[in-house]
Order: sequence, then structure tokens, then C-alpha cells
Amino acid sequence: MAKQKTHKIKMMEEQLAKKLNRQVVGSLVGCVHCGMCDESCHYVLAFPDDHTMTPSYKADQVRKLFKANHDWTGSVFPWWVGADKVPLIDDDLETLKDISFGTCTNCRRCTLSCPMGVDTATLNRIMRGLLSHVGVMPEGVRVVSKDQWELGNQMGILKEDYLDTLEWMSEELEEDLGHNRAAIPVEKKGARVMYCINPREVKYDPRTIKEAALIFHAAGEDWTMPEEGWDNTNFGLFSGDDGLGGACAKREYEKARELGVDKIVISECGHGFRSTRFEGVNWAGESEPVPMESSVMTMLDYIKEGKIKVDPTKNPEKMTFHDSCNNARSGGFFEEPRELLRLVAMDFEEMYPNRAENYCCTGGGGAMSMSEYTPRRLESAKVKADQIRATGAKVVVTSCHNCVDGLQDLIKHYELDCEVKQLVNLVANALVLDEAEKVAEEPKPGDIAVTKVAEKEPLAGRKILVVDDEEDVRMFLTTVFEDAGAEVVTATDGDEAIAMATEHQPDLISLDLSMPGKDGVEAFVELRKNPETEEIPVCVVTGHPEFRQVIYDRPVTPPEGYLGKPVDEDKLVAYAHHIIEHREKKAN
Amino acid sequence: MHEVSPALHTAEVVHWIALVVMAIVYTLKIRWLLSFNLAKDKSAPGNPGQSNKQRGARYSLWNVAMPWSMESTRKPKGFVFYLSFVIFHLGVVAGITLAFVSTIAPDFLRIEGVGYTMLAFLIGAFLVSVYRVGRRMFRPLMRLISTPDDYFSLVMLTIWFGLGTCTQAYLMGIWGMSSETLLVAYLYLTSFFLLYVPFSKISHYLYYPFTRTYIGRALGQRGSYPVVRA
Repeated sequence: MAKQKTHKIKMMEEQLAKKLNRQVVGSLVGCVHCGMCDESCHYVLAFPDDHTMTPSYKADQVRKLFKANHDWTGSVFPWWVGADKVPLIDDDLETLKDISFGTCTNCRRCTLSCPMGVDTATLNRIMRGLLSHVGVMPEGVRVVSKDQWELGNQMGILKEDYLDTLEWMSEELEEDLGHNRAAIPVEKKGARVMYCINPREVKYDPRTIKEAALIFHAAGEDWTMPEEGWDNTNFGLFSGDDGLGGACAKREYEKARELGVDKIVISECGHGFRSTRFEGVNWAGESEPVPMESSVMTMLDYIKEGKIKVDPTKNPEKMTFHDSCNNARSGGFFEEPRELLRLVAMDFEEMYPNRAENYCCTGGGGAMSMSEYTPRRLESAKVKADQIRATGAKVVVTSCHNCVDGLQDLIKHYELDCEVKQLVNLVANALVLDEAEKVAEEPKPGDIAVTKVAEKEPLAGRKILVVDDEEDVRMFLTTVFEDAGAEVVTATDGDEAIAMATEHQPDLISLDLSMPGKDGVEAFVELRKNPETEEIPVCVVTGHPEFRQVIYDRPVTPPEGYLGKPVDEDKLVAYAHHIIEHREKKAN
Repeated sequence: MHEVSPALHTAEVVHWIALVVMAIVYTLKIRWLLSFNLAKDKSAPGNPGQSNKQRGARYSLWNVAMPWSMESTRKPKGFVFYLSFVIFHLGVVAGITLAFVSTIAPDFLRIEGVGYTMLAFLIGAFLVSVYRVGRRMFRPLMRLISTPDDYFSLVMLTIWFGLGTCTQAYLMGIWGMSSETLLVAYLYLTSFFLLYVPFSKISHYLYYPFTRTYIGRALGQRGSYPVVRA
């Protein structure tokens, strides 16, 4: 007896009908199964014996649904065109989820290799959208999407925390420059530029905000950051939910109109740029889109127009450039970052292939938020690691926050001798400030809180629990915190961390994630769930990618801070100081 | 008009009727495709200095003649596949030419230069088809993504190329091919294709101009097409 389709499957079929347009139908009927797309995919290259990785196979998952419901032959003789193998029961959807979310980053590289012009990445996104429509998606995507709907940003950052971070960065700038003229303007009506950022910058990499502010200040820009609608990222692109995509983009557009700015400048985020600058306009049904540009363009223009001066000798290391897929393939944006890089750095080495043919960092398509696929993602990153290794570069420059995370993970995994930077880091570092701007000591915008906090014992009277299984790391962290005036207690694994936290009630926990026995992720979740320890702020200090589970899957409130190893001691103290102060401010 | 036997005359009539049916079905298929909304990109052009919709579309449409434009046809292995693609499709053109010209001006196909060119294309396409059948049947990847329609279409085309080769030889009076049945059979097989193709993957050429134009316009609008290599 033939199986009956479940309600979810029927809902997916109905939803598919709504997503069909001429371009999509063309891609659905145009594939001849020639297999030419095969080797364009980084997953295929990493798993050559697993043919389910091939792009046409992935696209066929939605193609079957289409043929069974919309194609002439498929409707009458489904078995003849493979339309008989459509999902029928809800268990099939888990397999489809694994394929569409776990084996494709929607990088669109295969699209460029298709003789027929089939846009396979778009078809995969449609499958994601159908699955999301019936509630089937990775936990990280679900949580992040929910936060983007409800809170307006993908990391669930509260308005007060966002504003507090901007204030913190303004204070840092003031300390660096010796005046407060570079303070970050918020909600300034009539400014020329509204600067939108990735929530990752607020939560885990605020130095990029500070650096951008320094550059805007140096250029004499009339700019502002909005109180709302500041998140340029968009999980609608990843989940295939056009409704969410439109809602996220519209927040930015409406805020820009409300403030009366001339243009939106989008910080270096590949998918944020694509979603805000291009796709969001269509999802939101904008008839007259607000002018928008990437901050890379803005910085390049500042240099070309003589608004800022840069000294490339300040960035002497050998560098290469990684093109974000969303910028290069889907945004036609690849020459400007190179032009800018050549202006602010001394030694640039191209990686091959590049531009629109570049390989994905493997962190795209929302992959960083899908921790269940991390091992597969890292394995698929081999081709990218080989590309980077071949350049011999010490710095991989990119214009995308997802790429930063993806590249950092693969650099650690494949033990490459290099680091990742963004153009904003390099421009800020190369910036030549006017004499009037200079203070006694040359500012170092690449560092957070290079002020002499350690000398002032900013952590005096604080108790910090250091959790790490490696003795030398534990010793290092203990020394740094003690030098800053803190009292330090230590633990070597998750169980001990929970016991010590309960007993000592520290002001902050510095938590390693990769430990034998109960690891840091488990310990973190238990700490958060325990009423006695749930309020203790945690700063994750790790060299491993599994911490992303606590950021994106978010079984509990995410950690207050994150630092990658090796840790810069000034940055560590500044972070600890800020986290504790912020917690106290909130408590009061 | 050339003299034809009743059997050949019937085959020719069937062939022309099949052609009309195919034309009607193709018209309906294009109408069906055009019945879907054309999604319009309302965003401002991505990088007008680099490209635009029109340039992207032109480049996309012509990339069939530019094996260097795609990584999949640029690499040595891919380039060999591209050459086989060219030979295969030249054979298709020769096969269609054979079917139509043999019914209205068979003497044209008996001109030595024309006839041997046709033979070369048909034999080349036949050999490529045999290779492609093997590739589809024995490569695990190809087996995974193939449907019965993929196998059937390819096998039938291989037979068509083989029969076309014999038919062309018959028209030229070479290789001992002297039976008119070859031409009759070839026309019936072509008629079958004319009726079957609109319902099979072989109709991809109908969609080709659309899919290539759409992706070319989309990426041209963003500025990433033509692909820049450096």
C-alpha cells in the first residue's frame, strides 16, 4: 500500500508553488545531469567518494518535488524522471535537512560551472526555505532566526548591551586619542552615513567598531549608528525564509529613512552586504531603495579623496585576500578590496583561484551556526587551507565576519601559520592621524584597551575563576589576572569549575571549552542552569570552534565574552574589566 | 521532387506530422515557462563599472562557445568533456539535417564534401554517445543522479546516431548500404524523437536560452559576470 504524504510534506509542496518564478523554474527544468558541477564544490573535493555531495544531487531534492507536482512528465510518469522518490514521511525531512543545511554553504560556485546556467545554490536555498516553513532546521538557525524576528539582531543582543558596547568603544577611543571628539554618534538625525554592523562585532569583536569609528572620525565623516535596525546580517538568506529576510532588511531601510541619512554603510560582512544591498531590497519589496555601500568602498573613497592618509609600512606582513562568496560571486565586489589592500599593506600575494571563482571559507550559508555539522565543515575546508598555504601569507585578509570565523577555525584545524584580519583592521592600523589627534603615546587601534589598565589594577577586589586543563595556560591567565589586582581561584575541568563557582561565587569565570571529562560547553550550560551560578558572567577563552554551539544553538544565555587563544593580556584584562562593570551596571 | 517508395513516403509524412506536433508542444512548453512571473531585481546595479544585465546575458549565452569561461570546461579533464560535448551536438545537428534534407533534397547529401562531413559528425557523435552511455552507467556519481529518462534518452540517441551513420552511407551508396529501409527506419526513429523530446530531458535546449539569459542577467546586474580572472 502506497504511503500517504504527511501534512508537512503537503505544506512544503504548497510553499514550493509560491516560490516558483521563471528563473527558478528554468533552473529546475534545465539540469541535464551532466555532472559538470561536481568538482566545483568544496564538499565534493573533501569527500570524493560520497556522491551525495555533488551539487546536482542536492538540487535534485527540490527538483523531485517540483517534477512530481508541476512537470508534465513527472505528474504522469513520476518514476521516469525521478519524481517518485519524493519525501513522504517526516523522517525524510531530517535527511533533506542534512543535505540542504549540512552539505552546502550556498556559495554559488557550482552555478558558475553549470553549462546550462542552473542556479543550484538558489535551489538549495529554496529547499531550506521549504524545510524552515515546516519547522525543520538546525537548532542554531532556529534560535538565531527567532532572535532576528523578535529582537532585531541575530545574537539576541539587548538594546542596552548594544549601546553599552558603543559607549565602551567611545571611551576606549577617548583614552587612545585624549579627547572625546571621536565618540560614536548614536541616532543622529540628518547624518550623511548610517553605519550598520554585524552583531558579532558587538558581542565578540568590538574592536572593529572602534576602528571604524576612528576612521570615520579621521575622515571628518558626518555619521551615526542607529539604536535599532543596526544589524546588517540576515538569517533569511540562510534559512530560505524570504519573510524574515525582508523584515530584517526593512528595519535598516526604515531606520535610514527615519534618520534621514544619505546612505547606509554596511560593515565588512559578506552575507550582510548581499542581503542588505541586494536581496533585501527584493524581499522587502522596496521600490526606491536607500543608497547603500560596503564600508570597503567608503574607506577606499576616503583614501582616494584624501580624507584620510595611510601608511602601508605599518602593515608589513605578507598578506593574501580571501573573497567572500556573497561579496564576489553574488555582489560583483572583488576589485575594490584588493585596491584598498594594496594601499594599506606592503606585501600582497593573490590566492588562486580568486574573485568570483574563489572557494568558500566553508563558514558561509549559516554554517557557523550549525554546530552539528562542524566536523564535516572543517573537513570540507581542506581546499581552502591548501589555497592559503600555497600563498605563504602570514595574514589572510577578508571582508566578511563569517569568513573570519570560518578561516580562523580552519587555520587552527589545519595548523596554518597565519592569522585573519579584516580591511578595517588594516586601514585603522595604517591610519596616519593629524598632529592634533596624536596624544603622547601613538594610539594602537588594533588593540582593545591598550591603556595601562594593568598598571592601575583595574580588577582589584575582584575574584576570578580560571578554568583550563592546560597548566601553562592556567598559570598565564592566573598571573595576568593577579597582576591586574584580582584574586584568582582555578579549576582544571568542568566538574571542578561548577563546584568552585558554587563555592566561591566569583565575579567572572574564564572558561576553556575543550577539556577532558566534562568539557567547557557542558559545564557552561550547567552553570547557566544552576540558580546559584546563573548570574556569574563567563568569558570563554578557547582555541576550538565548538564554542559556537553556545553562541548559536543557545541552550542558555550565551557567554558574556569570547577570546580566542593565544590571548593578548591587555585585551583579556580589558574584557574582564568591561564584563564585570557591565554586569554591575545592569544589576544596579 | 524526388521519387519515393510508398514506405518512404509514409515515413516522410509521419515525420512531418511529428514535427508539427513537436512545434505545438514546444510552443505550449514555452508558454508554460512564461506563465511564471519573471522575478525582477529591484536593487541598484552592483558594480556598473564592471558589468550590467545586458553584458552578463550576452556573455552567459555565448559561454557555450567559450570553454575558458567556466572552470568546469577549462581544466584539462573538463576540456576533454567539452570537446565531446561539441562533437555530440554537431552530430545532433547533422542528424536533424539528415532527417529533413533527405526528404526534400537527398542529392545534396550525396555531394562528396557534404556527405563525408555528415558522416564524420555522425560517427563522432555515435562514439561520444557510446562513451557517455558507459560514463552514465558505470560512474557511481552519474548513476546516482541519473533517471530512467536520462538513460533512455542517451541510449536512443546513440541508436539514432548509429542509424543515421548507416543512412548517410546508404544515401552516398557506400559501405554496401543499399537498403532504403535504413532511411525509412531513420525517419521513424526521428519521428519518435520529435514526439518524445518535448517530454524528456532532451528538451533542455529549449530552455537553454532562458536559463543562460536569466543567470547572465542576474550576475551581470551584480557585476560578477563576465567572470574576471587574474
